[in-house]
Amino acid sequence: MDFLQSWWAFMSTRVDQIQVALAEHSIYVVSVLGLASVFSISLGIATRRNVLARELSLAVTSVFLTLPSLALFTIFIPLVGLGFAPSFLALFLYSLLPILRNTITGLDGIDQSVLESARGMGLTPRQVLLSVQLPLAWPVILAGIRVSSMLIVGIAAIATLVAGGGLGDFIKSGLARLPLPNSLESIWTGTLLCLLLALVIDLILQALKRATISKGIR
Amino acid sequence: MSEPLIRLENVTKSYPGTESPAVGDLTMDVHEGEVLVLVGPSGCGKSTTLRLINRLIEPTSGRIFLKGEDVTDIDSSQLRRKIGYVIQQVGLFPHRTIAENISTVPKLLGWDKAKIAARVDEMLELVSMDPAVYRDRYPKELSGGQAQRVGVARALAADPDVLLMDEPFGAIDPITRDRLQNEFLRLQQDLKKTIVFVTHDIDEAIKMGNRIAILREGSEIAQIDTPEVILSDPADEFVENFLGSGAILKGLTLKKVRDIELHQIPALEMPVMRDEALRVLEESPEKTAVLLDKDHRPLRWISEASLNRTTQPIEKSGKPITIDLQPEDTLQDALGVMLQSSVGMAVVVDRKGKYLGCCSIESLASLIISDSGGAASS
Amino acid sequence: MTMVAPARVDRTTLAERLDLIVAPVFAAVLAVIGGAVWLYSDIDDTTRAILAPEKLQKQLVETLVLGFASSALVILIAIPIGIAVTRRGLPRVKNFLVDTLGLAQALPAYGLIVLFFSWLGAGIGTVIVALATFSLLPVLRNTIVGLEQVDQAVIEAGRGMGYTKRQVLFEIELPLAVPVIIAGVRTAIVINIGMAALAFLIGGGGLGETINSGLKLDRNPAILIGAVMVAILALVFDFLSAVAQRYLKPKGM
Repeated sequence: MDFLQSWWAFMSTRVDQIQVALAEHSIYVVSVLGLASVFSISLGIATRRNVLARELSLAVTSVFLTLPSLALFTIFIPLVGLGFAPSFLALFLYSLLPILRNTITGLDGIDQSVLESARGMGLTPRQVLLSVQLPLAWPVILAGIRVSSMLIVGIAAIATLVAGGGLGDFIKSGLARLPLPNSLESIWTGTLLCLLLALVIDLILQALKRATISKGIR
Repeated sequence: MSEPLIRLENVTKSYPGTESPAVGDLTMDVHEGEVLVLVGPSGCGKSTTLRLINRLIEPTSGRIFLKGEDVTDIDSSQLRRKIGYVIQQVGLFPHRTIAENISTVPKLLGWDKAKIAARVDEMLELVSMDPAVYRDRYPKELSGGQAQRVGVARALAADPDVLLMDEPFGAIDPITRDRLQNEFLRLQQDLKKTIVFVTHDIDEAIKMGNRIAILREGSEIAQIDTPEVILSDPADEFVENFLGSGAILKGLTLKKVRDIELHQIPALEMPVMRDEALRVLEESPEKTAVLLDKDHRPLRWISEASLNRTTQPIEKSGKPITIDLQPEDTLQDALGVMLQSSVGMAVVVDRKGKYLGCCSIESLASLIISDSGGAASS
Repeated sequence: MTMVAPARVDRTTLAERLDLIVAPVFAAVLAVIGGAVWLYSDIDDTTRAILAPEKLQKQLVETLVLGFASSALVILIAIPIGIAVTRRGLPRVKNFLVDTLGLAQALPAYGLIVLFFSWLGAGIGTVIVALATFSLLPVLRNTIVGLEQVDQAVIEAGRGMGYTKRQVLFEIELPLAVPVIIAGVRTAIVINIGMAALAFLIGGGGLGETINSGLKLDRNPAILIGAVMVAILALVFDFLSAVAQRYLKPKGM
């Protein structure tokens, strides 16, 4: 109970810092997800007919995911320096696979008879893609975006190690000051706010899902 | 009458939260060597009843007897090793070869390797699959019909006295199903196992069963008797409705070609001249004659018109006979053949293919009329 | 009468093949980059000190120990739990676990490691527990999913033939769930080796130490070579796991 009190005190006296860290963390998540979605979905669409290109893309993006986070965050430093850039790059590469894989699975999983009747009605391949395939694959793609977002929120905490800011700052400063007062509170702040952010993003995505998915396929 | 091989005594199965029991106070005997078919509408409890016998489902109350012994409380896994079990989706172990699948229960019973290997081959041959080809294959390489054959082989491997079959041919295409049913019936003639067979298809029940139990909801027996009795004497409206209006046609599967009088038309045996054939046809009230070869085997249908239409030799006039019936074929088969034939008749031949007579639609019709008349009056 | 037999089926799909090729290729590329950096960049004494072979070797071993110990721990805990919750009668526990653990993935591993440090003190043991907690989810979830996707008809046939519940688990369910479970273990191993790089934060050693020194002393070559080494390590173990995955797949699947 004491701990909760001191924790509350800690947070309420650092509202500005929390806001900044939250903002930085959110910027990472939103910008990475945005770019990665555009990139992965396009890649998924572009390679949907070519088995080799498709499997190659999947294999390469999944290799990114096996690279240790510290390594991926730091490996670009000689090229782009410290701070936002290497963090963004690393997070971007990490988030590609779930979205790509779900785009491919989503497009693949569409009932062939639906596609056939669309073509039979005279829709061009492009029209079939935009008005039939993507809307039907969208729920699965969104699920992939959700997986990526959970991943990113957690890993973005490491940005602090390369001076990239974010909620990880609280964890780092807490660690540095252990076992001094307020160090533990700092660590918990960083950790749990990540979880909170994840929940918020999940809710947003669920709302997005409801808003953009037709009633017929929910 | 001898002691029944299987006896369900006041067996009830109810699930918590449901009003009426899935199986309500059922008492049923299965006699040694018979095929008892449990048939009824969806949800009546026939599959549940089947699985009470090998206690895949445990009864809420009642006793189960196997060969006079009360097996309600013994170790269920041990019990099941003595009973063969075949299900609709087959359930072959995909990660094991066909041979390994078949040897499952023998291994559990501790047979030695040589005996098991020999038995595997024996079982594969029993279901008409070449052991050398199939022994080391995997289930994913088999068609639906082949998979179920292996399923049956696997169930029979430890030589159980009892076989439980739950809609075994349900997931198979009609042509293969028919073939499998016929093969199974031949197998049963040799093996004489005691079989409890579940199906929702009344035609399959009539074809496969020595006795049929027509079940109502709650697995209540509406009628349990031989197919002949049920067809000619349905116990109540439920049974009548279940048999459907095709009951008379279904009855045709119970009679054989040898049960009706064969229609005799002029038979011309080679060598014969056209003029003689024409003369015979003119003198006879029949419009069609059958042309036989030197060995008394049917070749072609000959009519006056076909003879006059052509100057070809007699062996080339008329229509060729491509299908025939044997005395053991059912009247339902006969009807099918007759309907396909261009002259509304089918030749009946003996085992050596020699001509015996013809089966005509008229003789079939008179049999149906006399039969249904009999049923109506009883 | 014998039936016509279909041709034997035995193929490696493109995906499986690529699985075994791409990671090693990547590792090779990284090695080349690392080598180029070593040869062509400005290696001063400080850098040389950071990259001393004895140091690197020690850190390599530490990383390996951390990665494997935590993976072994996870397997020993997660698989039995996964088996336990998929038995009949525990669907609610299972759903609860899957849902909470799904959310737990958003917890930063970094934060977890530091929290465990505050509770358990410094050292390898702490890191192992923290990593095991973090990689619990993939193995547990895959165990559950793997067991649940086993064809019910096969299980029913097994029970009907007389296998006891225990025999059904070991002879049918587990062998058929192995591909999915191993995929989960593979993910866990990769996560653990990767996260082991953070062990330096709490005195657990490992190759992260080199990267950190490079960061602190502003020596890019050290950062890069450290990063490359950790990356190659992870790729090597991913490759080995992929091989295991391929060859532990039961025949006939």
